[in-house]
Amino acid sequence: MGSLAGIRAMWAIAWTDVRLLLRDRAAAFFTFVFPIIFAIFFGLVFGGDAKKGKIEIAVAQLDQGSLATEFVSSLKQMDGFNVTSVASEADGEKAVREGKASACIIIPGGFEKGLDSIFANGKGPEVPVLVDPSKAADTGLLQGRLMEQSFAMMAKSITQPERMKKQLQQARDMIAKSKDIDLSRKLMFGTLFQNIETFTNDANKPGEDGKPAFSDNALSGFSPMQFEMKDIRKQRIGPTNAYEVSLPQGIVWGLMGCVTAFVSTLARDRQRGTLVRLRSAPVSRWQIVGGKAMAGFVSCMLVQWLLIGIFAMFFGVRVPNPPMLIVATVFSACAFVGVMMFLAVIGRSGEGSAGFGRSVILIMALIGGGTLPVFFMPAFMKPVSMASPFKWSVDAIEGATWRGYDSQQMFLPLAVLAGVAIGGFVLGSMMFRRAMRE
Amino acid sequence: MLRLTNLRKSYGNIVAVDGISLEVRRGEVFGLLGPNGAGKSTTIGMSVGLITPDSGTVEIEGAGAPTTDRVRGHIGIAPQALAIYDDLSGTENLSLFGRLYGLGGRELKDRVHRVLDLVGLLPRSSDRAGGYSGGMKRRLNLAAALIHEPPLLLLDEPTAGVDPQSRNNILDTVRDLAKAGKTIIYTTHYMEEAQKLCDRVGIIDKGKLLCVGTVDELVMAHGGKSIVRIERAEKHERFETDAPVREISRVLAGADAGDPVTGVHIDRPNLESVFLGMTGRSLRD
Repeated sequence: MGSLAGIRAMWAIAWTDVRLLLRDRAAAFFTFVFPIIFAIFFGLVFGGDAKKGKIEIAVAQLDQGSLATEFVSSLKQMDGFNVTSVASEADGEKAVREGKASACIIIPGGFEKGLDSIFANGKGPEVPVLVDPSKAADTGLLQGRLMEQSFAMMAKSITQPERMKKQLQQARDMIAKSKDIDLSRKLMFGTLFQNIETFTNDANKPGEDGKPAFSDNALSGFSPMQFEMKDIRKQRIGPTNAYEVSLPQGIVWGLMGCVTAFVSTLARDRQRGTLVRLRSAPVSRWQIVGGKAMAGFVSCMLVQWLLIGIFAMFFGVRVPNPPMLIVATVFSACAFVGVMMFLAVIGRSGEGSAGFGRSVILIMALIGGGTLPVFFMPAFMKPVSMASPFKWSVDAIEGATWRGYDSQQMFLPLAVLAGVAIGGFVLGSMMFRRAMRE
Repeated sequence: MLRLTNLRKSYGNIVAVDGISLEVRRGEVFGLLGPNGAGKSTTIGMSVGLITPDSGTVEIEGAGAPTTDRVRGHIGIAPQALAIYDDLSGTENLSLFGRLYGLGGRELKDRVHRVLDLVGLLPRSSDRAGGYSGGMKRRLNLAAALIHEPPLLLLDEPTAGVDPQSRNNILDTVRDLAKAGKTIIYTTHYMEEAQKLCDRVGIIDKGKLLCVGTVDELVMAHGGKSIVRIERAEKHERFETDAPVREISRVLAGADAGDPVTGVHIDRPNLESVFLGMTGRSLRD
């Protein structure tokens, strides 16, 4: 059989096994539905969705001037935000990296001076904002509110005649000192600033309607502060949402369902005679094993991404690094296909294989963080958990979600999962081959 | 079509097949008969390449040994255990098995339709096989062996445990296949089936092929004598003879008027008597 026909035959075997799984109501329930219920239940038990509510913002006030203090207090009154002060820029950055805040606004030293020299420099003070790039929506909302607050600040500044005069005086002093401006122009600017000062004094007098002369629209197109957004790569050291913990557990139960459903398929094929038909067809043993493995892989991927999709869409679980999560799920699926292949050839009967497989898998899941996350386990259990591929699967998925592992940190769990996959597949195939020799 | 030469297979100390040599001719229906544990299934397993013989060769005419994918494509097998998926419909089962033989698209669809029609399952083609009766499952099992239109068919007890209607359908299908020129190896415990269907029969026991020939040849050679039973008013008579008609005429001619003959019965030897004569009457487990 040619390679293309071989792949078609493998796919036919795989699709049949997936279809048989979906048609077995009990197996389908325990593979696809139960893990979702489990993860939601444990998500609620672990604390539900703590994220809902105000957006956490840190503010580091490095200028202790009255305008800066006023600006910070105006920020703290913004609706929908919970603004807390931090002592330094480093503290603010740490808060963002650790996921405790979506952003940190740095009110730099010289903020007030910058605001005062707004006419002299043509632009307001630079205000760095450290943001978590994974929270684009929060950041966008914050950016809009900051602009609003800065205009309010500017308006306040202008509506205070003394402050306005101070700003104009600074501009006049700067022009007077300048060597690049000739005398006639200096006189012209002097007259201009005098007129502006007079205008400001008059403009701030209430009109006949009792309202000030400046309106909010008067300064459109002008930005009184330069908000400089800086991406801070989040260093997740803890989940921000209880479902981020329960999702990998749900995945463990989903993978468990897949493994237990598939370990009995080879033995059942042998029992009911369908293996004779598969083997008498022009397909090799490798293609039969490959088809079974493909079915397991497809099911494992399906259950993992079903859970991820549901929890990302409805339970606020974030996927900051989708490519890494794809890699983690692929390696997890491969590892459990390996486990499946090994367990499938051990039992002679369908029931025997399923029973033995279920026991082994249940123990693996329990010690690997299937019910109690490994980080909640007592110290003596943590080394034991390393013997379970579930532990490494959870580690890889957490690494790609709330732990925010880089590729170096992901190497170990992925390497272990790859080892389990290769070992299980090779051992399982060898045993299958031996069993087939009869 | 199929040539087995000095095939041997042992499982530990148990010799399952002990030097069987056999040639099945193209287009014939060959009955392979034997008690349980005689070595029939092992012989069939080796014939389709599922079991590797310890020694000896299997050759499919014009193709070679059934160890390669290409040669296995020439064989269709209906195993004794129902080799179908209960959770798939008749159509889905056949589509899967067809795909394993490289079929696809329109051709596969047409073949599935044709084969389901042949075995009388077309009206129930989209029902799951798990809901079929025993006879329907047997027919689907047979259909799965036919989907790739192989020239050589191995049917291992295809009528085991089915109702008379399904048995009739299966036997008719086998006859049609034979007429279409297929070579069929048919194992069964029903001697009358073998007697009706098979061009030649081989009897196997304890791993050895005991005899091969047409049913008449076997009956002639191994069936023994006819048994004649004469019933009289006072005394019955029973004797074995090679010429039952002549013997009956003689008895009737010399009959005593005081004890007239009330009935005459002839039990002619048949395949069953050949089978029991060759394999003995002791129970096999």
